[in-house]
Amino acid sequence: MVGIDPARLEFFNLSAAQGPRWAEICTEFTRKISDMGPSPIWFALQKRKESAKNEKQAA
Amino acid sequence: MIVGEQKPFEEIWGMVKDHKQLTVFGCNTCVAVCQQGGNKEAEILASLLRMRATQEGLEIEIKNGGIERQCEHPFFESAKDLLDQSEAVLSMACGIGVQFIAAKYMSTPVYPALNTTFLGDVQTDWNFTEKCQACGDCVLGTTGGICPVSRCCKRLFNGPCGGSSKGKCEISKELDCAWQLVVDRLEALGKLDDYEKLAPVKDWSKDRAGGPRSFKLEGF
Repeated sequence: MVGIDPARLEFFNLSAAQGPRWAEICTEFTRKISDMGPSPIWFALQKRKESAKNEKQAA
Repeated sequence: MIVGEQKPFEEIWGMVKDHKQLTVFGCNTCVAVCQQGGNKEAEILASLLRMRATQEGLEIEIKNGGIERQCEHPFFESAKDLLDQSEAVLSMACGIGVQFIAAKYMSTPVYPALNTTFLGDVQTDWNFTEKCQACGDCVLGTTGGICPVSRCCKRLFNGPCGGSSKGKCEISKELDCAWQLVVDRLEALGKLDDYEKLAPVKDWSKDRAGGPRSFKLEGF
């Protein structure tokens, strides 16, 4: 409904004592997201920045 | 408690997308309990709308806020500035709250984010069932606490119909036959004699059928 791939959202359950597991999750998920590339929101925001810049230059 | 369900996102988006500024406004009482329209849900919906607006290249300033109840004037004090400056309001409250805001802000369009569905109880945190239809003439004393108006699909006042089967209503195997429940209850209370008494014809003029109702306290 907002155009974001559901694979970009994941829920993990762990306890505050599981430090190494937390580090593992962070690394893994960050890698997964980097592989997926920028989200459509990122592209839309870039586009907005571009057009704002162009308008400024034109003015 | 008033129960409602959030409208499909596409429907909400269709209502608000042409505005340049929008305030998503939550109500933190009934609709927060069923997790559809509370201040938290308002924040989430505002975020979803911002994401959608960004992707469609639309510049919409979307704010979010909320109050405890959208059906009473004093609660609006804290949000006065926010609402005064809103071009449009998406109210997360039940139909009552939406109308209350619309009446307070005659020149601001107010949109409903929820479909208000029924008056019900909170069986569990996730399960709400209809229990009352505000008919204005309560007979719960004679039916052992089971409402024939809201829980009998035919609103019968004198016992089950021929469709009652194995304690279930003919409409759906998941629906209890209200009158089976009444009989069971009266039996447990030792009041089956009440069941034999014929209920008189109901005065439906006290129900919504008699026109929109109001109630005024004396001496004010």
